[in-house]
Amino acid sequence: MELAAILLIPALASGFALLPTNRHFAAPMTVAATVVVFILASAVAVRTTHTGRVDALGQWLTCDGLGALILALVALVAMTAALFSWGYIRIRAGHSERRKEQHYYALYNLFVMSLLAVPILANVALMWVAIELTTLLSAFLVGFEDTPEALEAAWKYVVLTTLGAVLALLGFLILYWGSQVAGYAPFTWAGLVEAAPRMPPALLWPAFLLILVGFGTKVGLVPMHTWLPDAHSQAPASICALLSGVETTTVLYVILRLFPVVGGTPSLDARPWFVGFGLLSVAIATLLLIYVRDFKRMFAFSTVEHMGIILVAAGLGGAEAHLGAAYQMAGHAIAKSFCFFAAGAVATVFGTQEIAAIRGLVRFAPLTAVALTAGAFAITGAPPFAVFISEFLIFKAGIASGQYLTIALLATFVVIAFCAVMFHINRMTFSTPLGSVPATALPLSCSATLAVAAIPLVVIGIYVPPALQDLLHAAATAMGG
Amino acid sequence: MHSPHFSVIFSLDALTGALFLLTAIGVVATRQVLASLQLFIAQSLLLSLSALLLGIALGSPHLFAVAGITIATKTVLIPWLLRHTVSVEVYRTREIDRVLNIPSSLLIAAFLVVIAYAIANPLLGAVDLPFARINLPLGLAAMFLGVFTVVARREAVPQLLGLLALENGVFFAGVAIVPELPVIAELAAAVDVPVVALVVGLLTRQIHKRIGSTSVGRLAALRER
Amino acid sequence: MAERILYNLLQVFVVVAFAPLVEGVTSRLKENLQSKRGPSIVQPYRDLWKLLHKDEIVSEHSSWIFRAAPYVAFTAPVFVALLIPVLTQYPLFFAFMGDMLGGGFILALGGFFATLAAVDTANPYGPMGASRTRMVGFLAEPVFIVVFLTVSFVAGSTIPYIVQLRWVSPIANFFEPSHVLLLIAFLMLILAEDGRIPVDSPSGLFELAMIDRSKSLEYSGRGAALMKWAGAMKFLVLICIFLNVLVTPWGLAHGMGLAEVLLAIPMVLLKIFGFVLVLVYIESSLAKLRLFRITEFLGAAFVISVVAMITRLSEI
Repeated sequence: MELAAILLIPALASGFALLPTNRHFAAPMTVAATVVVFILASAVAVRTTHTGRVDALGQWLTCDGLGALILALVALVAMTAALFSWGYIRIRAGHSERRKEQHYYALYNLFVMSLLAVPILANVALMWVAIELTTLLSAFLVGFEDTPEALEAAWKYVVLTTLGAVLALLGFLILYWGSQVAGYAPFTWAGLVEAAPRMPPALLWPAFLLILVGFGTKVGLVPMHTWLPDAHSQAPASICALLSGVETTTVLYVILRLFPVVGGTPSLDARPWFVGFGLLSVAIATLLLIYVRDFKRMFAFSTVEHMGIILVAAGLGGAEAHLGAAYQMAGHAIAKSFCFFAAGAVATVFGTQEIAAIRGLVRFAPLTAVALTAGAFAITGAPPFAVFISEFLIFKAGIASGQYLTIALLATFVVIAFCAVMFHINRMTFSTPLGSVPATALPLSCSATLAVAAIPLVVIGIYVPPALQDLLHAAATAMGG
Repeated sequence: MHSPHFSVIFSLDALTGALFLLTAIGVVATRQVLASLQLFIAQSLLLSLSALLLGIALGSPHLFAVAGITIATKTVLIPWLLRHTVSVEVYRTREIDRVLNIPSSLLIAAFLVVIAYAIANPLLGAVDLPFARINLPLGLAAMFLGVFTVVARREAVPQLLGLLALENGVFFAGVAIVPELPVIAELAAAVDVPVVALVVGLLTRQIHKRIGSTSVGRLAALRER
Repeated sequence: MAERILYNLLQVFVVVAFAPLVEGVTSRLKENLQSKRGPSIVQPYRDLWKLLHKDEIVSEHSSWIFRAAPYVAFTAPVFVALLIPVLTQYPLFFAFMGDMLGGGFILALGGFFATLAAVDTANPYGPMGASRTRMVGFLAEPVFIVVFLTVSFVAGSTIPYIVQLRWVSPIANFFEPSHVLLLIAFLMLILAEDGRIPVDSPSGLFELAMIDRSKSLEYSGRGAALMKWAGAMKFLVLICIFLNVLVTPWGLAHGMGLAEVLLAIPMVLLKIFGFVLVLVYIESSLAKLRLFRITEFLGAAFVISVVAMITRLSEI
């Protein structure tokens, strides 16, 4: 029943946020709603690790290990981002624009609901609709600032990702066709895995490619990534955290779901495609990281890089690589959302997103500077953060299975990316200030968010709680098929 | 399964498909927004006609539902939505800002149709489904043409129409390859399409208000410098 | 055998005799559709009569081509009329002398001489019209080729008498997408080839905007009559190919009896007038395209014909 509640609560919160009397309470109510959702999602995740699968509403909602991991991550980031929004959006919307704020929270809750729906909807066609809704509901959140740049970003985001989603739709229709031919009715992931060996490869193959390219657009895989840095740099920081931290992962989850489906057919090998797309994304994103001028764009490119790494990990195959991929998803969601909170804080303090315009951050805003540096370390995979461990796991698995070239390339790009991000962050944080800057004070909720979000960031790198460990293993198992 | 008028229905569906493809090419090639919109409406009508024909031939009530939903959403609701959100753009009589001129667009369109057939052939070889022979390649072609429209147009409403035409193409293939798709999925997809139109329409209005034009292809503030 | 030769000659006679009538009906219907009274439908006959009785003036700077062109232009459609089904459904004596491509070549020969003649005089409008006609011709050429190729794929032949039977044998064939698309493409070709309205204005009097008509501006007397007549016949021949070969063979004579063949004359004329009604409706509802937009018009026709061929080749 938790699964139904998880979808219902944000929907109700969205409705309440629009009530005219609710002018002052939209933000705290959203925070409360997301906290409840997070608790429920954690409960579902724990139950999943015990029972393997949780069903609700007949067979309409279902959740296995991989779904539970995504669900928990979305709920976590939704909670921290809601807290961050509280003070941040008030500044962004202007203090007099309460109506705009209410619209923000209404859409925010709906957006979160659509994200939560993706991993738990059993019917694959409905899941496609949920993914399409994540785009449509977040379009106005991306364009929230109402500047020409923000609208441009929102436009590219909606048009390109919808285009990709429609291509993926054809892929799903062909999959359904295949499962009809194979004589297996339910259009769920489990049903597809079961039907896949009997599907004609001539159908499975184009379906796989269409979904990979179509949803790859929304994940931000190179060369379909062009919209991603725009949208992820122009949206408000709280939305960026959701977009970059979990929306990409949620869609990537669908692509990973295809892995066991395609894996059931011996004549097809999806792994080279995963590794190829993954490595290309990592390579291009790394190169772009060197030249980037806007620090929110920098984190956006880092997202492209991480999606590539996860895809490569999935493509390497084997339980350990899949565990690394699951761990990487968790580490990325937590670290990237934290990075965007820090970046949003910096942008609030300085009123700019230009890397070149910010020098000596540590003197003006020490807390923000520490957060930004820590976030950068965490996302680029420095020890002792989670991404370090997950990347280490992936490298280890790759070497163990003898895929040296892939690992060598991956490791090279990861190191270059680390250097590039650190170079930019170092200049922003420590070099001599460019004269006095009119620094704005950071709202309390933003500082609080940085503190709250820092807890999982630091903890899961050092100590992985047994519950989380079970969840990651369950997710890896689901991925392996 | 084969009703007595099968061959006539088959030919009629083929004719519907051919006209469907022509409207898709028309959406690529027209110069005015209103003409694009009208072609899109015609295309949607042809889509529902094809669903109807297949419904009769296969005896599938699902396809009647698809035809009804298509008519309701794509020929009534979406034009209404567009007229209410971006009427200035729809009714403005001027040429659409485009990347390529019309003859080159037409040649590329013809090329895309050939590609669609080349892609569809191995799929059709794998499974014997009579109507898929018509609907799958033509739907694929319309899909490619939709993608091409989005790429080749610089303005908001034509890009949106390209997107919707692309969706039509997918459904045109869909009615033939998966006639028994659960109704719930059909309904969901039917809700989704007008939402796309609404969101993109509202966004267009916002862009128009804020920037003064809807030449989204000319917006290039965001890029790597 | 003798009948077949007779009917073939009758066919030529019908084309020669009724071409001005079709033109007269066309212009009358067009005016009526635009709520004007319009000239009498026999006006073209009166014009021809008048022109044939006038003196002819030929520029002393022009060569023999100028003098020969009206005769060539007049003869070309006459020859084509031997090859195509005008009245009968079964092939006549000369039917296998040439296929649709051959007919196209003969018509093009007439057009070629008219173009040369236009360049031959020193009148500045003639060469202008000639070059524009060539431009339209170049653009129409690929469409013609693709249309004929598709037709030959469908029917396994380009002999018009064989092609026409293919579309109706089971009625489902009529709705074949390749057939319908070919019809659209060929209709666009007729509009372009004959200088109808989206491409050229047949009734326009402004020399600078003319495409087709400015070629015969220099002719007077008998030359002008022949050119005018030739134009009318070319139009009729194109309509016959379109209606009797590509659309339907309905209304044509099936048997060998003379009465049946004679009865086919009014039937075919009725069909042609029906088509002319569609044509003038198209003409009245469209505006003339700017010169360089003609590329797009014929480009669209080309794409349609290519799509027709593709759907044909993939055996839908």
